Amino acid sequence: MRRDTILFVGFVALFAAVNAYLLSVGKVQGDWAGFGVIVAAGLTLAMYSFLYRDNPTFKLAEHLYVGVVAAYQLAQYWYNNLLSDVYNPLFRPEPGKGAAWGVLIPTALGLMMLTRFVPKISPVSRISFAFFVGVGAGLSIPRTISSFLLQQIEPTFKPIWTASAGFTMASLDTFLILLGVVSVLVYFSFSIEHRGAVGGVSRVGIWFLMISFGASFGYTIMARLSLLIGRMTFLLRDWLHVQIQ
Amino acid sequence: MNRLLNIDRRIIFLFVFAGVVIPLLWSFNLPVKPTPTVQAIYDTVEAVAQKNGRVLIAFDYGPSLVAELRPMALALLRHCFRRGVKVVGITLHPEGVGMAQDAFETVSKEFSREYGRDYAFMGFKPGGGAFILNMGQDFQATLPKDSRGNDTRAMEITKDIRSLKDFDYVVDLAGSAVTEIWIAYGQERYRFPMASGCTAVMAPDMFPFLQAGQLNGMMGGLAGAAEYETLAGASDAATRNMTPQSVVHLVILTFILFGNLVYFLGRRAP
Repeated sequence: MRRDTILFVGFVALFAAVNAYLLSVGKVQGDWAGFGVIVAAGLTLAMYSFLYRDNPTFKLAEHLYVGVVAAYQLAQYWYNNLLSDVYNPLFRPEPGKGAAWGVLIPTALGLMMLTRFVPKISPVSRISFAFFVGVGAGLSIPRTISSFLLQQIEPTFKPIWTASAGFTMASLDTFLILLGVVSVLVYFSFSIEHRGAVGGVSRVGIWFLMISFGASFGYTIMARLSLLIGRMTFLLRDWLHVQIQ
Repeated sequence: MNRLLNIDRRIIFLFVFAGVVIPLLWSFNLPVKPTPTVQAIYDTVEAVAQKNGRVLIAFDYGPSLVAELRPMALALLRHCFRRGVKVVGITLHPEGVGMAQDAFETVSKEFSREYGRDYAFMGFKPGGGAFILNMGQDFQATLPKDSRGNDTRAMEITKDIRSLKDFDYVVDLAGSAVTEIWIAYGQERYRFPMASGCTAVMAPDMFPFLQAGQLNGMMGGLAGAAEYETLAGASDAATRNMTPQSVVHLVILTFILFGNLVYFLGRRAP
């Protein structure tokens, strides 16, 4: 047998032995809640087994996750949207109210999208897509311009120095934001040759970009480690019942 | 030197693993100092409590982000319920339903809060921006029922809510660009005070919105949650997990310095 196969069989046997021990001493209950803890622990270990090498347990856990999430989301869409907003208003209206026929229009538009799966009638889906793109563009363009452009420009043009307050720490922030915006914009201006003064400002822009990427990467490490700590806490406290601080 | 430069990545994983597990087993306390962005959320909730107001919390996250965002949700709910602030929950993320229900059930039991009077959960609705705009125009017509099938017009907590503007504060807990949708279609359009509780990955993207005043506060990742727990006087998972987090950061910093040192020494060597 290959070394990886021995390792794989060994880990599965160890996992089974640990669970058998936990069940025998009553640390994990022999009910559905206990079964859930064992499954969650097994899947957590299966996902982290990828750190050693890609393997069948990782693949199994990965595919299970995709399947479970798809089924859970379908159930949520059914109960929170299709049942409450489409089926009930049409077929089970509240006492004293008639069927909400208006619901048929968006329902028909939604169903027309599914005609993409039948090549012969698939052009019908274009009506739905046209509606979707039109409404989407109409809603998003003014909101995007207002929120992500105009509102973002405003703090860039705050005064750095005022007669009443002079130059404060807030002024330094404002100056750095202004410098960052201008230098990065210059860096991305490819129609001008980056030499002399333009080249210098462009180099400052690169520094701003590098610091920004570094900050993002640092935050990403922090986020991933938080997830690791969360899973370790689960394995130690909820599965193995080890006293953690 | 060459062997040190080509160290097996699995050895680094072992160090990271030890950096997480050892502080969890033998903990030591590290001080958590709240930052102004987290303090701003705490102060706003306090101000809402002064006028017996209402807060809308959007639970826009799934189980994969529980480690970072659940501590935030619990700390925020504990603060609101302790100060008598009414809370309405909602989610634009289908997986957020279970997250919101878990958070409400956990904290409402601790403070004996009553569903429909002190808190309510409106469930999940798709539609993103269009749904937020609809809530801003007519909250009760957009959400005639809550997640339990109760009439929104009859429930004490929601009976006089006409628009998103009727909420004194909106906090979005998310690990994706959903917060930007809330800002563009909700905060910008209806001008309610808003804060973000986001994963650390998302935190750098939120700073421009803080700078522009579109957000008045932000909790970023586990550190943000720990800061809020400290402010609310309810230390829990986030505060406890900041110790292994800090230790692993030191481990990673050590490896970065070590890697650079070996690299530069290797370049000098003939």
